[in-house]
Amino acid sequence: MSKIDEIEPPLVLKSKGSLHPINQTKDYILDLLSDIGFNEVHGPEIETEEFNFDMLNIKKSHPARQMHDTFYIGNKNSVLRTHTSPVQIRSMLESKPPIAFTSAGKVFRKDDDSTHLPMFHQVEGIYIDKHVTFSNLKGVINYILHDLFGSSVEIRFRPSYFPFTEPSAEVDILSENGKWLEILGCGIVNPIVLENCNIDSKKFSGLAFGLGIERIAMLKYGVNDIREFYKSNLDFLSQFK
Amino acid sequence: MKVAYKDLLNFLLEKPSLDLVSNKLFQLGHEHEIHNDIFDMELTPNRGDCLSLLGLARELNVFYGMKKYMDIYDGNIDELDIKFENLSPNDCPKISFLEIEIEDEILDYRSYLEEYFLVSGNNKTNFFSDVSNYISYEQGQPTHCFDANKIFGKLVFEKKICNQNFSTLLDSEINLKDENCIFTIGSEIVSLAGVMGGKSTACSRKTRKVLVECAYFNPEAIIGKTVKYNLNSDSAYKFERGVDIESQERVLRRFIKVVQDHAQIKSIKLKIFNEKEYKNILLPINVKEINNILGITINEETYLDYLSKLGFDIKDNIKVPSYRHDIFSQNDLAEEIARVIGYDNIDIKPINLEKAKLDKSEKVEGIKDLLTEKGFSEVINFPFTKANDEDKSIIIDNPLDSNRKNLRTHLKDSLIENLLYNERRQKESIKIYEISDVYHNENKIKQEKRLGIIISGKVDENYIDYSNDLDFEYLNKILNGDGEATPFIIEEISRDSIKTKKKNKIFYTEILIDDIPERFSENVKSDRREVNFIKFKQVPEFPLSKRDFSFSIIDPKKYYEVLAHIENFNNQNLKKHFIFDFYKNEKSGEIKLGVSLVFQSAYKTLSENEIQNTISILLKPITQLDGVSIPGLEFE
Repeated sequence: MSKIDEIEPPLVLKSKGSLHPINQTKDYILDLLSDIGFNEVHGPEIETEEFNFDMLNIKKSHPARQMHDTFYIGNKNSVLRTHTSPVQIRSMLESKPPIAFTSAGKVFRKDDDSTHLPMFHQVEGIYIDKHVTFSNLKGVINYILHDLFGSSVEIRFRPSYFPFTEPSAEVDILSENGKWLEILGCGIVNPIVLENCNIDSKKFSGLAFGLGIERIAMLKYGVNDIREFYKSNLDFLSQFK
Repeated sequence: MKVAYKDLLNFLLEKPSLDLVSNKLFQLGHEHEIHNDIFDMELTPNRGDCLSLLGLARELNVFYGMKKYMDIYDGNIDELDIKFENLSPNDCPKISFLEIEIEDEILDYRSYLEEYFLVSGNNKTNFFSDVSNYISYEQGQPTHCFDANKIFGKLVFEKKICNQNFSTLLDSEINLKDENCIFTIGSEIVSLAGVMGGKSTACSRKTRKVLVECAYFNPEAIIGKTVKYNLNSDSAYKFERGVDIESQERVLRRFIKVVQDHAQIKSIKLKIFNEKEYKNILLPINVKEINNILGITINEETYLDYLSKLGFDIKDNIKVPSYRHDIFSQNDLAEEIARVIGYDNIDIKPINLEKAKLDKSEKVEGIKDLLTEKGFSEVINFPFTKANDEDKSIIIDNPLDSNRKNLRTHLKDSLIENLLYNERRQKESIKIYEISDVYHNENKIKQEKRLGIIISGKVDENYIDYSNDLDFEYLNKILNGDGEATPFIIEEISRDSIKTKKKNKIFYTEILIDDIPERFSENVKSDRREVNFIKFKQVPEFPLSKRDFSFSIIDPKKYYEVLAHIENFNNQNLKKHFIFDFYKNEKSGEIKLGVSLVFQSAYKTLSENEIQNTISILLKPITQLDGVSIPGLEFE
C-alpha cells in the first residue's frame, strides 16, 4: 500500500536536442570514407574561377559558368563554389601522390525551385596513386552504396559526362518500387586535371566521386521535399535524435 | 530530342526490338524515356554528334551494324555564283551555300516527312524550312533557308558589337547587344548566326527559290545567345554542342534528294567556302593503356574492332572522326571501350589503404555534444540576405532577387528568423544553434567560422523545468560555467524591432569558433557518432491546440495507475503530452498532477468537438478511478 511520503515523483523527461540531419549524413559518409583511407580536407566557399572551373577542365564556354548557373562575386572576380572539387585541387597542389582526400560542405548554384536549392551540400572524394583503375572506382562506390543502402542493393553504372573525369559515370540504385534512382557521379580523374595540379599523369592515375548529401539524406530518412531541411522547424529537426 | 524507333531501324542492318535498342542506348550513356515507340533522348552536352538519327545509328552500329549507303543526290551540281564575305573565319571556318529552284508549290509531303512532324511535335511552316528541320533531325546538321529572291546584295558573316533591333522569322523583335555573330546585307542584319534567321529574308509557302546556308560555327560563338535573347532554337542547341565540319556537302546533297522526292527541280547550285583545312585528331594505338585505365584485359584486335565500329579510322594511328568533338586522349578512348563493354561488366576491385584519422575539431564536437544534451537543435541557414552590413557584406553580382543580394556577415538575423518561425508554430521552448562560415569584405574577402545560439520560452517540458524561463543565467551557466572567464557575450534581443506578440525574452550569443575555450573538448563523447537513420514523419502544418488539466489524486494507491495511463496516452489527434506540475500535500495526502495535452491532426484543423472527444477518450478512464478527479471537468 502506497503512502503519500513514499510516492516517487514522475520521471523528469529532459528533451534531447538534435544535430542537423544533413550534418549527420555528411559526418556519417566522411566517417565511412575515413575507414578506407580518405582524409578530410577543407577549403573556402568563395572561390576563384581558376580553382572552381579552369583547373577542373571546365572550359569558359561550359554552360555551368554562365551567370544563370553560378553566383559571381566582385564583378566576376570570384564565385560561390559550385562544388567542393576546388578544395581537392588546392590539396593536390600541396601534396604528392599517393593521396586520398574527401572534401565536404556547402555548395551553391543559381537555382531555386521545389526540387533545387541555391545552397546544398556535397561530399567528394579523390584518390590518386599508381595504377588506379575504373575497377577500383567501382570498388569504392560499391563500398559506399552497400554501406548506405544495404549489401543487397542493386547498383547500376552508366556513362556520363563531367569535364574533370574521363571516363565518367553516374551511378543509380534500384529502389524498392523498382525505379532506378540516380545517386552519385564519379569517374577516372581526367589527366588534364592531374597535370594542372603538377601531378605526372603518365605515372599516376586517380578516381573521384561526388555525392549530394541532401539526396542521400532524403533517401535514408524518407524525406520527400528537400526544402524541409532548411525550414528550421523544430518539429522536423527534433525527429533526428 | 525525340527519335522514332521506326526511323532508327531504317539506319540499322539488324532489326533489334525496342527494348534491346533502349538497353543498348542506356549502356552507351544515352538516357531516354520511351513514349509510343519514340525515344525522348536526354544526351550529355559533350555528345552533340548524337543529336540526330544518323548520330544514334552510328552509336548502335557497334551492336547492330549500320547501312553504308545514304539516299543522296549524286548528280553534278553547278557552282553557285554568290557574293559572300566571311569576316570572322575563326567563328565560322567552313560554310556552304546551296541554291535550289523548284517549279511549283508543294502541297503534299511524302510519308517520312509527314511522320517527322508527328514525332518531333513541330509545326509545319513552309516546304523548304520543313525540309531543313527534317534534315537537322536526320543528319544533325542545322541549315538555314533564305528566300533567294529576297537576297539583294552581298551577304556578309561577321562578329561585331551590336546595338540594333532584329526581327526574327518567328515575328519576335529582339535588341541585339554586345558581340554577336551575324549575317548582314548592307546595314541590315538578316540572321543571328546559328540561332535564328530574320523575318525579311525568311521563306514562305510561295518560295520557289531557296538559298540554303550550311555552316560550322564554333560553339563559343553561339553559346549563351538563346538564353540572352530568350529564344528557343534547335539549331543553336546543336551548334553549341558541335556539328560535323566535314558533313556539309553530304548534308546538302541529302537536302536536294528530299526536295527531289517532292518537287520538280529547275536548278541546283552549290558553293563551299572552306576557310581552314580540318585536321582530324590522331591518337596512338595503345591497348595496354586502355587496360590500365579501366582495369580490364581486352586484346588489341577486339579493341580496334570496337573503335572501328564507332567510326574511328584505324591505320598506323587512331583517327578520330570529324563529328567527335569529345575525343582527345587515351582516357577518352578508354571510355569508348567501357561504353561498348558496358560499365556494369567491368570487374570490381577494392582499394587497399590504411584507415585515415578523423579530422574533427574537438571543441566544436564538444560544444555540439553539450548543446545536444541540453536540448538544443542544430539548424542550417542559407547565407543570402538583403542586409547590407555597413558595406562589409559581400555583394553577389547576379543574385536570385533583390532580397538575397548580400552574403550574411553574422548568424544572428537568420537565427532570429528561425526563432520567430517556430514561435508562429506555437513552440514553447526554443533552443537552437548554427555553426557556419560567414564572410566580410575588408579589402579582401575574410572568412570566419562562427557559432550562434538563440533561446526563448520554457526551459523544458517537464514539471521541473516548465515553470522556468530560458534566460541569461541558463545560457550563461551552460556556456561560461561558474567563475570562469566569459568568452561568450550573451545579449537580450529586444522584441521591439521584431514583428511578434510574444513576450518571452530572447537571449543570443555569437562567437568565433576560434574563440571557443578548449575546455569544451572535454565534452566529446566519442570521435564518431552513431547515426540513427530514422524514417521521418511529415510535419503537419495545421494549428496546434493545447489544453492543460490538473489531476487531483486523493488515494495515493491510484497515483502510479494514473501515471501509467498518462504514459500510455496515444491518439492520432494527440501530438504530445507532458507533466508540467507535480505536488504532493503531505498533510492532506492529496497529489496534484498538471498535464498538458497538445492536439494536432496530420490531415486537418481539428474542431473543438473533435478535441473534446479526444480529451474524453484519453481522460475519462482516469476520472473513473476511485479517488481521482479533474476538478472542473466532468464526463457524461
